[in-house]
Amino acid sequence: MSCAPAKVGREDPGERSPEPAAELHDQELIMHLEPDQLVAATTEPVAPAPLGARAKALLWGLRIFVVLVSLMVIYTFVDRLH
Amino acid sequence: MSASEQAAAPLLGVPPLTREDAARSLDRSRVHRARRHDRRWHLLWLLVGPGILAMLGENDGPSMIAYASDGAQYGLGFFVPFIPILFAMAFVCQEMSMRIGAVTHRGYGELVLQRYGRLWGWFGAIDLTLTNVITLVAEFVAIRVGLAYFGLGAGVAVLLGLALVIFTVSGGRYWRWERIVLGLAIFNGLFLAAAILVKPDLGALGGSLDFSPFPGGSFNTLLLLIASTIGATVTPWMIFFQQSASADKGMTPSDLKHGRYDTAAGAVLAAIFGIGALIAGAALLSHGGAGIEGFAGAGFPAALQRVAGGAPATLFALGLVEAGAVAILTISASIAYAAGECVGASHSFNNSPRNAAVFYAANIGVALLAALVILIPGAPLLSIALNANVLATVLLPVSLVLMLMLANDRGLMGAYANKRSTNVIGVAIVAFVGICGAAYGIDSFLQTIGAVG
Repeated sequence: MSCAPAKVGREDPGERSPEPAAELHDQELIMHLEPDQLVAATTEPVAPAPLGARAKALLWGLRIFVVLVSLMVIYTFVDRLH
Repeated sequence: MSASEQAAAPLLGVPPLTREDAARSLDRSRVHRARRHDRRWHLLWLLVGPGILAMLGENDGPSMIAYASDGAQYGLGFFVPFIPILFAMAFVCQEMSMRIGAVTHRGYGELVLQRYGRLWGWFGAIDLTLTNVITLVAEFVAIRVGLAYFGLGAGVAVLLGLALVIFTVSGGRYWRWERIVLGLAIFNGLFLAAAILVKPDLGALGGSLDFSPFPGGSFNTLLLLIASTIGATVTPWMIFFQQSASADKGMTPSDLKHGRYDTAAGAVLAAIFGIGALIAGAALLSHGGAGIEGFAGAGFPAALQRVAGGAPATLFALGLVEAGAVAILTISASIAYAAGECVGASHSFNNSPRNAAVFYAANIGVALLAALVILIPGAPLLSIALNANVLATVLLPVSLVLMLMLANDRGLMGAYANKRSTNVIGVAIVAFVGICGAAYGIDSFLQTIGAVG
């Protein structure tokens, strides 16, 4: 799997006029959505915000902690099955 | 964008509209009309959904079994006030989740991945997948236990769960999916009805509000029940689900007030119904129901029938079926959202299966995978259910910390970023959940390897 952002306009053009669209004109449809709510906008990735050293240390510490405790829980669960 | 789509784009700089935009816009037009005409109740009706579904979805099979186990082992004391406190914690977390979704119009998975890097995004997705698959197995277990009371087997449980998933996702509209699942979720109230029918001692119920008597017995069993009770109220999937569902529903910052009502209503209902399961379970306390494992074979409904009669047992059994079914729908939806967000594919109920193949395949596929597990003969059903919640508790702190970071990210949230008081409460919740999960994990492990008695 790739983690690339979704591509704008990836849909089959034939599917771009669904039943709800028949009820409202495009211009009217736009009025009901915020500009950043449109699929064309939400498929653009947000700007990255690189983590600082402290945040990385906190997240790695927490990650290692929960993995260790998870392994303990899983080990206990499997052991008690027997 | 393909040439044909560019050609189809309206003039005046309006971007090309997709099926998803059109469906969401139709829902938003109703919201705008209700707001314009000051139809308050109609507006509330239109905007409730993700909060109630997250909270009642978490009142799932394993959670109700955990509450009933608490009651059967320890009675009402301690847990009656403890459950509302946990749902107050859940409200704080889920309000943040809703707010981020409404402000950014994006799901948790994609925001973490795009903002903080693929590594943390994928870690979150792996946590979610692990806990969700185990929890989904437990949901099918709950349906199976409920149906077993009526003499129906695992095959019926599997077919029912899968049929519901396929039926609800088949409409190609978020609104339709949400309303069907909300309709089912209301039946979580069956646990309250079961609690009323067991005729609880109201004096004991009122007396338990001061956290007494504090549960006695084995320290490790108590830790298991506390950790699984926490896991019954706040879990990683709820965070993924409510943020993504709020974005999919089309919520905006102008809807935050109603989003809070929705989340609060969900928390209150879930706490009441959860206490209902606790009270029903407590009916077994003085009838030889000391060992919770003892209920694994007969199932809670059958045990309840012997003690309190057929009516509460039937309601409890139906409640388990409902709790499992609603959770299967919401949890598989959270996995589908996360899958779509992580691979960058369309992830909306407002899109068609043809255009959102990953989303729909993940939704149905994960439910199918979990369903197959419960067909394995001799699976330790109650143990799976309780440990699913414990594992969710253990993995939760990382999801909560990343959510706190998103909610404090002024580049994303602007004026809607967390206030200091929300952060203080949020950090306290992370610490509490982390300590409780770790205490059980470490104590159990040390006992298992014989390091402590």
